[in-house]
Amino acid sequence: MRIRSWFRLLLALFFAHLLLVAQTTDVIGPITSALRSGQFDEALQLLQPELQRSPRNAQLWALDGIALSGKGDKKNALAAFRHALGISPDYLPALEGAAQIEYESGDKDAVSLLQHILQLRPNESTSHAMLAALAYRSGDCAAAVPHFEQSGSRLDDQPVALQEYGTCLVRMKEFEKAIGVFGRALAGSNEDAGARYRMASVQMMAHHPQDALETLQPILRTSNARVNTDVLELASSAYEAAGNTPEAVRVLRRAIVADPHNVDLYLDFANISIDHQSYEVGVDMINAGLRAEPNAAPLYLARGILYVQLAQFDKAEADFARADAIDPGHSIGSAAEGLAAVQKNDPKQALATVRAKLAKKPNDPFLLYLQADILLQPGPEPGSADFREAMLSAKKAVSLGPSLGAAHDVLAKLYLQAGQNDAAVEQSRKALAIDAKDQTALYHLIQGLRKGGQQKEEIPELLKRLADLRMEGTKQEAEHNRYKLVEQETPPVKDERP
Amino acid sequence: MNFTRRDFVRISLGSAACAATPRIVAQGIATHTVKPEARPTPSGLPFHAHFTDIAEAAGLKAPTIYGGIENKRYILEANGCGCAFIDYDNDGWMDIFLLCGTRLEGAPPDATNRLYKNNRDGTFTDVTDKAGLRAAGWANGVCIADYNNDGFDDIFCTYFGQNRLYRNNGDGTFTDVTKQAGLWDDGPARWGAGCAFVDYNRDGHLDLFVSNYIRYSLEHAPVPGESSTCNWKGVPVNCGPRGLPTGRHSLYRNNGDGTFTDVSKQSGIAAATESYGMTVVTADFDEDGWPDIFVACDSTPSLLFMNNHDGTFREEGVLRGVALSDDGMEQAGMGVGVGDYHLDGHLDLFKTHFIDDTCGFYRNDGKGNFDDVSRLTKVAVETRFTSWGTGIVDLDNDGYPDVLFVTGSVYPEVERKLPQFPYKTPRVLFRNLGNSTFEEMNGSASEGITTPHSSRGCAFGDFDNDGDMDVLIINLNEAPSLLRNDQEPKQHWIKVKLEGVKSNRSAIGARVLVHYGGKTQAQAVVSQSSYYSCNDSRLHFGLGATKLVDIDVYWPNGLHETYKKVDGDQLVTFREGVGRVANKGWAKG
Repeated sequence: MRIRSWFRLLLALFFAHLLLVAQTTDVIGPITSALRSGQFDEALQLLQPELQRSPRNAQLWALDGIALSGKGDKKNALAAFRHALGISPDYLPALEGAAQIEYESGDKDAVSLLQHILQLRPNESTSHAMLAALAYRSGDCAAAVPHFEQSGSRLDDQPVALQEYGTCLVRMKEFEKAIGVFGRALAGSNEDAGARYRMASVQMMAHHPQDALETLQPILRTSNARVNTDVLELASSAYEAAGNTPEAVRVLRRAIVADPHNVDLYLDFANISIDHQSYEVGVDMINAGLRAEPNAAPLYLARGILYVQLAQFDKAEADFARADAIDPGHSIGSAAEGLAAVQKNDPKQALATVRAKLAKKPNDPFLLYLQADILLQPGPEPGSADFREAMLSAKKAVSLGPSLGAAHDVLAKLYLQAGQNDAAVEQSRKALAIDAKDQTALYHLIQGLRKGGQQKEEIPELLKRLADLRMEGTKQEAEHNRYKLVEQETPPVKDERP
Repeated sequence: MNFTRRDFVRISLGSAACAATPRIVAQGIATHTVKPEARPTPSGLPFHAHFTDIAEAAGLKAPTIYGGIENKRYILEANGCGCAFIDYDNDGWMDIFLLCGTRLEGAPPDATNRLYKNNRDGTFTDVTDKAGLRAAGWANGVCIADYNNDGFDDIFCTYFGQNRLYRNNGDGTFTDVTKQAGLWDDGPARWGAGCAFVDYNRDGHLDLFVSNYIRYSLEHAPVPGESSTCNWKGVPVNCGPRGLPTGRHSLYRNNGDGTFTDVSKQSGIAAATESYGMTVVTADFDEDGWPDIFVACDSTPSLLFMNNHDGTFREEGVLRGVALSDDGMEQAGMGVGVGDYHLDGHLDLFKTHFIDDTCGFYRNDGKGNFDDVSRLTKVAVETRFTSWGTGIVDLDNDGYPDVLFVTGSVYPEVERKLPQFPYKTPRVLFRNLGNSTFEEMNGSASEGITTPHSSRGCAFGDFDNDGDMDVLIINLNEAPSLLRNDQEPKQHWIKVKLEGVKSNRSAIGARVLVHYGGKTQAQAVVSQSSYYSCNDSRLHFGLGATKLVDIDVYWPNGLHETYKKVDGDQLVTFREGVGRVANKGWAKG
């Protein structure tokens, strides 16, 4: 909340209060007049004798607080407002004054003051806005959002507040509402590129790639020099999601030319290559990235994955080893060697590799999950040593990495095999809470419910959901199958087209 | 393994864009990539069956023409066809029927389906023309049964194009009665795949189920490299089935007068639209007395149609755990073996899959619910080959059914660039260790098993009537294999042949339990299994050291009969409601 507007607001509120109580006197008039014209010292001089004469006049104390605030003496202003509230706890101007000072200083007492104001005036949008901001700053979006909503148009000229509101909605996965809020921010932003970018990002999160592209168009139409690569990267994702792979690739190449040291851009290209099974093209682009950034571990990792798709396992293993050597802290890199061994039909080596990595990083949830899964491959009997080890590993993985859906999936499978159907159902539900489109979790849930004989009425809906997800996946596949990336015969040049 | 290629890539790349990375399409007839388990230590136990390929000596020399040899431009050329053991002349000796394909540029003179008569001396005579069965085209599956209950087995063949019903005239000849039977399709060419005769309404007449693979036209078919589904490990290959429209399956009700009526819609079969259907197996999986229908499907969930007893079916493959992998992923289901590996009296299923995936072993709880036991049974060690025809068959007669499947790549062009993926690959034999786990025998198996081919359909039967199970195999663009099984020392066995009276004469849908040495093994009489193929209709049970058995027969129309203390080492024939009757032709081998 901005300070300048607060002072005028407080004065307005005071006068509104005066009208309400019809308490305009000869004493008050000159004081308020001085305050209006910014004559704070004069106002204070006028207040002194009056306060001595009427020390229990809350109104006078509030005016004292206003004058002191105007002079910048927050400490004494707060004392004056508190004094007024001691006399008249529901005196609104004093409440507002104290709340503002506490809010600006970040004191948590602001919350109770603002809540008190809202008890008296439930629709007071400024207080809602301030409570929303406080809740946002403490990380409590669930508390912030209702206050943001109640702030109404008060936020329209508050771009920071709108951004906070929108961010909260995104965190709560309410993307459609977030679009509305970021739209308001954009409307009031005077064509700020950052506001466009944020809006388009949320539109992508809500799976509206065409809308995202429309939002980005004014930025994309500017010349090369002015479009930042974040925008180009987002636009590329949007084009790809909209099924326009040629444009996605063109924009991404433009981004790479503009920022050849941006590793993420090469990873995005690798992603598109994999989606369209154009692995060699992906390798070539990663090679270009490695020429620019020869020590980028993620690029070795990505190239290793592409080599796996091409069944060039020796090259893949070399790249994974290199990625691990450059960045041993990255668990995926560590695990990738094991994964490559698995892909090469060598589960014994895979287990040995993962165990060696776990010796160095015993609490890595991904490695623990991978160990569990590899141990499960030979089909150990429930109760056997390998089965117990797999179970322990999976349990540790979900405990250390509760958001690793795959770990919940493998634990669910273990429970199903052990006949612990209720536990399997629980783990499957957790996996689905992380990713509602996890078909493995959905399948395990169906099997767990069927075998356990519990909640069978839920099964038909789950079966339909699984069938729908498959259909959705098939459609996405069909979209990706429309294009294949091929090598350009001439090297890429700067693309001057918007 | 839970870790599909999609997960590997998504987690590994770790960029924001990866969160939206959809499922990776490997290619073609599978996307599910699973990792094999480590091979356990060999048991060292002897395996007393030895297989010798005697096809050439037996007179089976004609190659199975099927599409291009060095390149297969279209998936139509890659899938191949099935074969059958059929006793078409009721002399008690198994004859052979081999399907055949053609080439894109037109059928060469020797491209035809073939019927070989068993000469009873280890050789066969080609009687194709005499029988009236010469036909060229893209044949796929064969199912055998006596659809008109006249005592002679008839033949139904599926095609890309027109399916054919051949009525056995009983005199060594067949007549194409497709049109008269009402099975002629005047519409655009359909891709008939698997087929099965089944008396779904228990009226004593065999009805017909036909699965369809793809809605396809050569004119509009995509070509190698054209899109993402036309590449495999970076090599341009024939496209599909992913990306191509799915086929629609059909159920035809036998009217009892030699004709059929399409009841696909009213039966509920037509509601299953999103699947690439392949082999069909019909059996009473939930043991309620009514036959159910299982369809192995490629790259889509397999289907299990449960009989509602009122002329309709409900599809419950996913619910009953037999449609997908144990991680809920679709697989490339091609061939199906049906048998009782667990010796609990229930019919289990074994399904073959594409390279980089394990075969699927599904244990039935007796109520038609299945658990994926591929890993528990240790068959998941093998993922190197694309697998096709298969059977759950006691090959060494030790009383424990084994598993055999044949293999072969669909991409001859890949081997030239990636020699680690050869076009011709060996058969795979898993022997049952007697504790519900299996051991792969390939290192110590006979040459008939280890010699590489690009095989497709296979049929199990005892062509030499010596009491063990031999194997007939289709090899693309090569002569077939006929693996003669020689056992030393021999163990005991029994074969059961059924003749329906109130039930359909072929007794399709019957379930037989043989009790021996404290064990119980179930088998079903089916008209198709393996890959698009049909086995010897005499149910074969190895008995190990046991010489005396009890037999339960559950007839298709509901009658249950029990036979006590039956001697082993013979064929026994039971007629419904009558009891044991004389064998036709062969008394004892």
